[in-house]
Amino acid sequence: MKIKELYKELGFELLTTCPDTEVVIAYTSDLLSDVMGNAPDESALITIQAHKNTIAVASLAGINAIIICNNRKAPDEMIEAANNENIAILKTPLSQFEASIKVAKTLGIY
Amino acid sequence: MSPASIAKTAMERGMHVAALTDHNTALNCKAFDSCCRDVGIFPVFGLEVTSEEEAHILCLFKTVKQAEKMGEIVYDRLPDIFNIPEKFGDQVYVDENDNILGEVDKYLVSATDIPLEELFDIVKTIGGMFIPAHIDKPVFSIPSQLGFLPQMEYTALETVRIPCPVETGDFTLLQDSDAHYIDDIACRFNTFEIEALSFTNIKKAIEGRKKN
Repeated sequence: MKIKELYKELGFELLTTCPDTEVVIAYTSDLLSDVMGNAPDESALITIQAHKNTIAVASLAGINAIIICNNRKAPDEMIEAANNENIAILKTPLSQFEASIKVAKTLGIY
Repeated sequence: MSPASIAKTAMERGMHVAALTDHNTALNCKAFDSCCRDVGIFPVFGLEVTSEEEAHILCLFKTVKQAEKMGEIVYDRLPDIFNIPEKFGDQVYVDENDNILGEVDKYLVSATDIPLEELFDIVKTIGGMFIPAHIDKPVFSIPSQLGFLPQMEYTALETVRIPCPVETGDFTLLQDSDAHYIDDIACRFNTFEIEALSFTNIKKAIEGRKKN
C-alpha cells in the first residue's frame, strides 16, 4: 500500500513529506540492532525509538516508514534526516501493540 | 563499594588514576575526590549515562562540579520512575567516611531521554570526555542498540576485549575494569606515558593514541 494511503487510513499524523513509496509489511521493535537484522524490505517500523539514528538504521534495512508510538516527540534532526532519506515518519498515541494491530488490519495481513 | 574502598583498592593494586562512573549519578564524586587524594590516586569524575537508545556512555570530567552539573541534567532527563530499595537495592551516596548522606529517589537503571548526539553536545559544552562504554558487549552498548557505531567525535572507545569485534577506526581503545565489585578493580587497566598527571594530559593522551 502506498504510504500516502496508509497514513490516511491509519489516521496517524504525518511528520515528514510523503514519499511516493509503498509499505507491504511491518516490523515492531525497539532494539535497532534487531531491526537492522530482521526488518523486511518495504516495511514500516513500529517503534518508540524517536531519534536520528533510527533513520540511519531504517535506510540500511529498507524501511520506508517509521511509526512512532506513545506520542513520543520526534526531534527536528530526525525529521530532517527522514526527508533526506525519503522515509516517512508517522506518529500515533497508540502503543506499539495497538499500532501493530491497526497496521496489520489496514494492510490486510491478518 | 564505597568511594573510600575504591580509592584504597585502586592504590593497593598500583593504579595512578581512577575514574568513578556511577550509573546516571555523580553524587559520590565529592567523596571520591577526597578519598583519592588521601591515598595519592589522581581522580577523574564521571557518570555512566544511559542515552535514549539505552546505550551506556562514559562521561568523564575534570572537576566534581562539572560531573555534578552533568548529574543534574541527567537526573532531570530520567523518567519519574522511583527506586524501590527492597526490590532493586539502595541508591545511596556517601561521604569520605562511608557515612550515608542520602539516597537518589529516581531509579538509576532507567534510560534518560537524551539521544546520543545531544548527550555528546552536553558533555562537550561542559568540557568532558565522551567514551561509549563496553562497545563489544551484547547489551547496553551503542553497537548492541543501534547495530552500528555512528560517526561522532568520540574521545575514545571502551572495549572489554581486544581485538574488538566492532570496527573502531582510529579511535583509542580503552580496556577499563568496568568494576561493579571491589574485587574487579584494576582487573583491566590502561597505560599511558604522560609528563604530569592532569585531566588535560590524560585527555590528550587518550585522544592522541591510535588503535594498535
